[in-house]
Amino acid sequence: MSKIFVYAEVADGSVADCSLELVGRARELAGQHGFSVGALLVGYGVRGLTDELIQRGADEVHVVDDVALSSYNILLHARAVAEVVKAEAPDILLFPASTTGRELAPRVAVRLGTGITADCTAVEIGDYVDPATGRKYEKLLYQIRPTFGGTVMAMIVTPRHRPQIATVRPGVYPIPPRDGKRSGRVREWSVDLSGKDAECVEVLEVKKEKRKVDLKSARIIVSGGRGAGPEGFKLIRQLAEALGGEVGASRAAVDAGWISYDHQVGLTGQTVKPDVYIAVGISGAIQHIVGMKDSKIIIAINKDPEAPIFRVADYGIVGDLFVVLPKLTERLRRR
Amino acid sequence: MGLNIVVLVKPVPDPKEPPKFKPDGTLDRLAMKLVMNPYDKYAVEAALQLREALGGTIVGVSMAPQHAVDALREALAMGVDEFLLLSDKRLAGSDTLATSYALSMALRKLWSRLGRVDLILCGMESSDSNTAHIGPQVAGWLELPSVSYVDKVLEVGEGYVKVKKLIEGGFVVLKVKLPAVLTIAGTSYVPRIPTLRDVLLARRKKVTVWSVDDAGIDPSKVGVLNSPTRVIRMWAAEIKRKGKIIAEADPDKLVDLFLEELKKDGITLR
Ligand SMILES: Cc1cc2nc3c(=O)[nH]c(=O)nc-3n(C[C@H](O)[C@H](O)[C@H](O)COP(=O)(O)OP(=O)(O)OC[C@H]3O[C@@H](n4cnc5c(N)ncnc54)[C@H](O)[C@@H]3O)c2cc1C
Ligand SMILES: Nc1ncnc2c1ncn2[C@@H]1O[C@H](COP(=O)(O)O)[C@@H](O)[C@H]1O
Repeated sequence: MSKIFVYAEVADGSVADCSLELVGRARELAGQHGFSVGALLVGYGVRGLTDELIQRGADEVHVVDDVALSSYNILLHARAVAEVVKAEAPDILLFPASTTGRELAPRVAVRLGTGITADCTAVEIGDYVDPATGRKYEKLLYQIRPTFGGTVMAMIVTPRHRPQIATVRPGVYPIPPRDGKRSGRVREWSVDLSGKDAECVEVLEVKKEKRKVDLKSARIIVSGGRGAGPEGFKLIRQLAEALGGEVGASRAAVDAGWISYDHQVGLTGQTVKPDVYIAVGISGAIQHIVGMKDSKIIIAINKDPEAPIFRVADYGIVGDLFVVLPKLTERLRRR
Repeated sequence: MGLNIVVLVKPVPDPKEPPKFKPDGTLDRLAMKLVMNPYDKYAVEAALQLREALGGTIVGVSMAPQHAVDALREALAMGVDEFLLLSDKRLAGSDTLATSYALSMALRKLWSRLGRVDLILCGMESSDSNTAHIGPQVAGWLELPSVSYVDKVLEVGEGYVKVKKLIEGGFVVLKVKLPAVLTIAGTSYVPRIPTLRDVLLARRKKVTVWSVDDAGIDPSKVGVLNSPTRVIRMWAAEIKRKGKIIAEADPDKLVDLFLEELKKDGITLR
């Protein structure tokens, strides 16, 4: 049977949500089109995670558990993944489009000499007839993704090369529930990871913050960006308070130290879906947009009329936040 | 001693203008003006700051049609020393695997000419393809380590760099052996804006053009027909937002207009 493989990213000792989402999607596609689902678990001390992958939908888990993989080294991780994939020859290989997946997957594609599509927002299965040769390919992976900064959508296939590799954006598919009754096969691999690659990358420090503020249940979020500055954040807090909402932020504002990471919205922060999202002094980088684009109503305040944030806004206010916010807050308080 | 830095710069259709399509639904790339990929400005800025601190040279490398030269002048005006433009009809339509292969072959040849390359810097992604593939793939072909989404180069030592990389929930600091490929995120470096003098000087800087044969590229591995992936359909993304943009110089009126719009649409903010 043809196989769909999913790369199981490990974060803080468990399988990352974005990989569980892909196991769920692979299971769905497998059920509809007759594939089996394999998970690739690569790291050190990761054997304990196989049950979870099986219960979420994997039929088999391929494990490379090696002390050389105890910290993330792109060269060794790519080698481990590529060796198992060469031997198992899956048809399709999915990675999460995380900061790891987006550098690891293209490197694996080079090792395997195959094609790869980045940051898909949907993956489907379908047929394709090559218009030049008339040859028909069955059950290809339809890789659907935004390009041109999100203004154009493209559908891409990899007809002749295997595996068909894609990275899939976190948060587009739901995490499947655990099913304790599922069973599956675990296969251990040993891959030769010796040689100079081990010394090429050394992790000196990991700085990750635990999240204390949950923005997911907030009905209204007022977020500030680099345009706000520490003073602007005072105004943002006042508006949030007047509206009974929470405060959010772009990564630039968090990295500048004006607000804690807890409040960051976006690819490497939280994904939020409030009724109203107000972006203040935020330019609208795609890494921010992916975290808030499903808000019911989006309002943007920015002094640059060309800021990309206006392209995803329901209401755009072109103006200086230091002038607009106090007036807006005052008007809303009065109501 | 100094650093020999190569910066990969992609000429892209001006992201400020909406993409143009041909009647058959494919992109009309020739009708779109080419500029330097905005994300690559951060990589160029990083290279310039490293050169200022440690000395050395910066060579820009692009794979693009000949008329992309104007876009490269932007990078030259920022301070890149010279450019290598890989340009050949046979490269047209290459996907990321084929493009990274072609660039890696050009880099190999450039490498032997320069004697040594310490760092290859890329933008974090291009504004037209947004794949973020080329950096890690070029590193793959050249069997070098790579780090994507570098916020900042913290230190350059004897044979290594320390870099701060963005990750989910924070940062990681990595020590990476040189030569290495880094892709630079648009977070910490602020690209400089060239002066008129810089722009004029850039006109005199050297741009070398290489064909597929000059770079030693195997033509059977590049171009649209030899690329593993194939775009089978493209369409304008549907934006389901109201897109009511309110611009008004008088701030009181501005807020009034905004609140009126909300009222018209039956939206209350509390
Ligand atoms: C791997 C990776 C992950 C990332 N993850 C995230 C993430 O999770 N979340 C995130 O937000 N970003 C993330 N980023 C960063 C992202 O690419 C952008 O750099 C960031 O979102 C920019 O923040 P900003 O919009 O606040 O700043 P800028 O892009 O600098 O924009 C500031 C805006 O403020 C406006 N402005 C300035 N002054 C005023 C004023 N007085 N009044 C009104 N407007 C004003 C300007 O016109 C400008 O549009 C990530 C990047 C990478 C590479
Ligand atoms: N044709 C090209 N020529 C030179 N550099 C490129 C080219 N395509 C991509 N790059 C580099 O790779 C980065 C990522 O591009 P992409 O993979 O297209 O998102 C860009 O920011 C450039 O630094």
